[in-house]
Amino acid sequence: MDKRNNPLYLAWLRFLRSKPGVISGVVLLVLYVIALFAGFLAPYNLTVQHPDAIYQPPQRIYFFRDGRPVRPYVYQFKRERDPVTFISSYREDRSRPTPIRFFIAQGEPYRFLGLKTNWHLFGVPESEGYFFPLGTDQFGRCLFSRILVGSQVSLTVGVIGVLISFVIGILLGGISGYFGGRVDTLIQRTTEVLLSIPRLPILMALSTVIPASWPSTYVYLGIIGVLSFIGWAGLARVVRGQVLALREVDYVTAAVAQGASNLRIILRHIVPNLSSYLIVTATLALPGYIIGESALSFLGLGIKEPMASWGLLLKDAQNFQSLSLYPWLLTPGILIFISVLAYNFLGDALRDAADVRQRD
Amino acid sequence: MNRRKLLKQAAFGMGLGVLAPWLSGKVLAQQAGQANVPANLFQEIGKRGGTLTLPLGSTPQSWNYFAVIDNFAYTVLNNIFDRLMQLDQVTFELVGVLAESWTISKDARTTTVKLRSGVKWSDGTPFTADDVIFTFTEVASNTNLRANQAATLTVAGVPLRFEKVDDLTFRVVSNKPYGAVLQALTFSPIMPRHKLAPFKPREDPGGYSRVWATNTDPKEIVGTGPFMLQSYVPDQKVTLVRNPNSWRRDPQGNPLPYFDRLEYLIIRDPNIQVAQFLAGNLDQIPITGAQFPDLKRQEVATGKIRVLRGSTIYTSPPHWGFNFDVPNPELRELFRNLTFRKAMQFAVNRKRIIEDVYNGLASLPGHGVAPGTFWYYDTRSYLGEWSLERAAGLLDSLGLRRGADGQRRLPSGKVLEFGFTYASDSLPFSAIAAILQNDLRQIGVKLNLQGIQQGTLLSTATGGNFESILMAYGDQPDPQLRKDIWQPGGQLNYWHRSVWPERGSSEPKFDQMFPWEKNIWEIFRQAEQLGDQSERKRLYDRWQLLSAQNLPVIMIVKPDAVAAGHARLGNFYARDSRIIFTNFSMFEK
Amino acid sequence: MLNFVLRRILVAIPTLLLISVLVFAVIQLQPGGFLENLLEDPRVSRETVENIRRQYLLDQPVWVQYLHWLGGIVRGDFGYSFLNSRPVSELIWERMGWTVFLAALTILATWVIAIPLGIYTALNRYGPSSTVLNFVGYFGLATPDFLVALLLIYLVLVSGGTTVGGLFSPQYIDAPWSWAKFQDMLGHLWIPLIVIGLDGTATIMRQMRANLLDVLNQDYIRTARAKGLAERVVLWKHAVRNAINPLISLAGLQLPTLISSTIIASIVLSLPTIGPFLYDSLLNKDQYVVMALLMLSAVLLMVGNLLADILLAWVDPRIRYE
Repeated sequence: MDKRNNPLYLAWLRFLRSKPGVISGVVLLVLYVIALFAGFLAPYNLTVQHPDAIYQPPQRIYFFRDGRPVRPYVYQFKRERDPVTFISSYREDRSRPTPIRFFIAQGEPYRFLGLKTNWHLFGVPESEGYFFPLGTDQFGRCLFSRILVGSQVSLTVGVIGVLISFVIGILLGGISGYFGGRVDTLIQRTTEVLLSIPRLPILMALSTVIPASWPSTYVYLGIIGVLSFIGWAGLARVVRGQVLALREVDYVTAAVAQGASNLRIILRHIVPNLSSYLIVTATLALPGYIIGESALSFLGLGIKEPMASWGLLLKDAQNFQSLSLYPWLLTPGILIFISVLAYNFLGDALRDAADVRQRD
Repeated sequence: MNRRKLLKQAAFGMGLGVLAPWLSGKVLAQQAGQANVPANLFQEIGKRGGTLTLPLGSTPQSWNYFAVIDNFAYTVLNNIFDRLMQLDQVTFELVGVLAESWTISKDARTTTVKLRSGVKWSDGTPFTADDVIFTFTEVASNTNLRANQAATLTVAGVPLRFEKVDDLTFRVVSNKPYGAVLQALTFSPIMPRHKLAPFKPREDPGGYSRVWATNTDPKEIVGTGPFMLQSYVPDQKVTLVRNPNSWRRDPQGNPLPYFDRLEYLIIRDPNIQVAQFLAGNLDQIPITGAQFPDLKRQEVATGKIRVLRGSTIYTSPPHWGFNFDVPNPELRELFRNLTFRKAMQFAVNRKRIIEDVYNGLASLPGHGVAPGTFWYYDTRSYLGEWSLERAAGLLDSLGLRRGADGQRRLPSGKVLEFGFTYASDSLPFSAIAAILQNDLRQIGVKLNLQGIQQGTLLSTATGGNFESILMAYGDQPDPQLRKDIWQPGGQLNYWHRSVWPERGSSEPKFDQMFPWEKNIWEIFRQAEQLGDQSERKRLYDRWQLLSAQNLPVIMIVKPDAVAAGHARLGNFYARDSRIIFTNFSMFEK
Repeated sequence: MLNFVLRRILVAIPTLLLISVLVFAVIQLQPGGFLENLLEDPRVSRETVENIRRQYLLDQPVWVQYLHWLGGIVRGDFGYSFLNSRPVSELIWERMGWTVFLAALTILATWVIAIPLGIYTALNRYGPSSTVLNFVGYFGLATPDFLVALLLIYLVLVSGGTTVGGLFSPQYIDAPWSWAKFQDMLGHLWIPLIVIGLDGTATIMRQMRANLLDVLNQDYIRTARAKGLAERVVLWKHAVRNAINPLISLAGLQLPTLISSTIIASIVLSLPTIGPFLYDSLLNKDQYVVMALLMLSAVLLMVGNLLADILLAWVDPRIRYE
């Protein structure tokens, strides 16, 4: 078949025309690649504490010395504690420039694709000092490393959650709207019952049911499962509403009159018409899970130490003290923002591209 | 836990009325011009007028003091009702409030209390000994009321008897001597008999619990305290106004309180409390050590607020408890081994916890008693210095050798790891957990953190659903009041549940106790039935020493009290490392 | 239409029964309960707890408890709050006013702002102002509610403002209504409206934009244009009306979600809604309160659905209800 007539290829061409969409796609790709290689890209282990570097601000990287380009280096910080307010303040120690090393093996080993290794892309030897690109938290843990490792959790759960709720939602919503009658009533009642209980209390109730001894990954996956099992109901309703309207559209009634099979009508006539709608909903739902994760952490129901996720990291920044004294703790919030934004732009671009009727 | 404790402590701080020493012995008539509250509450004589606005962390459940267990309701009610006596904020000694004086008989079985004369309820009815008898016999010791104090009003299993002598005198009689009788009397605010007796708390406790709900006409809530209820807007504000019949007078004889109105804004989020405080909508807030640096910085920068720190009895020192009855037999044996617990104590970096978690606003803990108070016995030398080498050495001596992966092994060859349950929604608790986990990992011990909600901490502990746990119990002025915690077999002695009495029995299982636990049990039994305070102090000293040596639990640190108030507040100050303020002595400059 | 409404109300009864079973089951599944918590308190005697247990039939089999509870609801008695020693319905009514007010205002503000913006961004897809609007919308979607609340309050505080949380300044809370009190409320109201309504606004704006773009590509629009109808008529009479259609089924879902979403906002901003009340009751396992609130949200949903369906039939004659 001629490439130019392939609708997928044409959609792809239209997608490439959208600058925000392409940029967002690239950003997301980069984020997922970073998440995959988090252990290698992070200079420190997730949990290692540095008691002498508590709430240390980010270290600036210098590329020039005396006007000449040199190997990138950072200065070590000197910590002083105010005797009255107990605020730690840090000053660059200009006498201690520390060059950044690349491909350095140190610290506790991490797992990558079944291998155990302690190679890191960059870092500063422990004997020479520290390098915290995004500063440290209350225990002197490297925020940059924690964000990288935390992205593994934050970026994957949305995908899992959306997959589960979409499969159920589209299936049941489609059936309900297309067939109507008793099936419709049954599914409608089920979705109504599920939707009538606010999501937050259900989660809170479930959090007391989940045993405290479960590892945090299980707890989290369990809550994601619950979220998506509640999430499908809303989607099913909207899909039903769309199908209900589409069923009355001329070309569908025409297809029915021609004696086309139910499956054919659903797949050839109704699903394509819903696709743009579903894509918008999917891109809206995906970031919803990322946001949902941070809300769970706010209520103390999300991921638990010693694991990390962006929501959990952001929890440290949720007070005026941090906002005014340690603003770098807000970085996980910026990452949540970027990833959610990227998903939205990507979804918009895909929607516009997938819209087959757009050709004039 | 910290915030609640602070609120509770703030609640305690108010309504502290004390008999000035130079007036004791005189007959006090209720006249203007005669001081009747302790002079140490006053940095200066205040001026009348204005509104004091304070935060309340949640909606009060009821105005019926003994019907609900609710610190937020108590915070409000402590302005409306008075107690017989309370602790002085500076000396921590008992001073009279509604009681004017008291004597204890030689055999320490009869306490005679003389009440302040001329005190009136806010509706004008005179206050008499009948009110006191009603409160203690019908309400406070009524085990059918949710918030009863019956446990402290019982000695050796027999309830105290309250007898009226005359309108302003009553007697407390016990079968055995009761050394903590006065402290027990401080727990219950005195309720108006003429308003509440018709609801028959003894005959119909269920019906009694329903009266004085939060939608009651405020005029019905009648007290002797400095303020009285004016209105309540659900989830938003509680307004109190000056009690026109308030009996309190400042050192120059001016009537107290100084403020016309006292308002509580209901604000759940501590962050918003801080914001409202900085915006000038709140006059004073209880804060924690974690909030101290930022607020202190604002004090230094603007001078608009004042942040005070001091020591106190009531803050809750966290401790690390090990379940002596954990199902895993190897861990059970280990947790029961004193050498193991000593090793764990060496791994507790108290200095770092004080510095980094509490921002320096904490000190070394006592063992069951707040340091610097009358009952305290100095056990600091038993706490030891933080030393991972010594901890490792002790673990080695137990034969818990490190494997090739650096993890220590139990005798069975399994990795030495155990659970550590803590309140993940408490900032200091999760910080302590993270520090301990990190330090123990360096000596090959794996701590599995299990974060739970603060509200379920106590039931998790007393239910025995943990391997080790980070807990905190508030300190009280008299060790007798905490015997449920520290006496083996007590209901809150959660770490050794196998010595708890059989259902229906009052005797714990002595055969399950360690020798030192038997000693402690005996100390509490004896001290309860002694009237001689120095004799009791000797016994409690020995208990603290036994605890420090045998480590039933590992005490972590004792947090300081901190409070922040606006610079315009008068008589809000610190003296001798005590934070001093009451709602009736503060005023607007 | 009247037939349809009546039928829907009849159908709602079994659904509500089903919900009541589910709600009751969820509460029964929770480990422990208020009385169990009470038993752990050494102050409370065992007999007190047993008395309460008997009084509320909690010693009876589960189905007896359920029927008793259901029977109470039919008579208008929602049970008793253990925590507050008061009837549940009284407590809910105290908080109902502000909850409905805030919810209605949020929905109103959301739609009034989101629909025109959605239309605007659909018509000016690549313009700079459209990009800015999209970005603001995305900001609402991409930032957690509590963080928005915290940042707003921080900004107000840093700029010297005093309207940080609550609905009124302290002196107006218990004051009678006046022009000054109304102004004071407006000064406070914008923060909760933004916090609760921002992501809803962004969602509806995006949906509206997507739907309108869909509709504008439909054949009948092209036909209408070809017929020479004025662009204004095509847009407002045909395109917009059809694009709003799917949003209306979304509107029915907004009511119960609002209860959920105001919980966090109300706790953070200390607003007097039923949100914090539900949260407290859940944590304290005050079962009758929780069940009543869950049932209430179910009823709200049914009313919302019914209204949405009636509205849908009204704006979209293609839908048949026989």
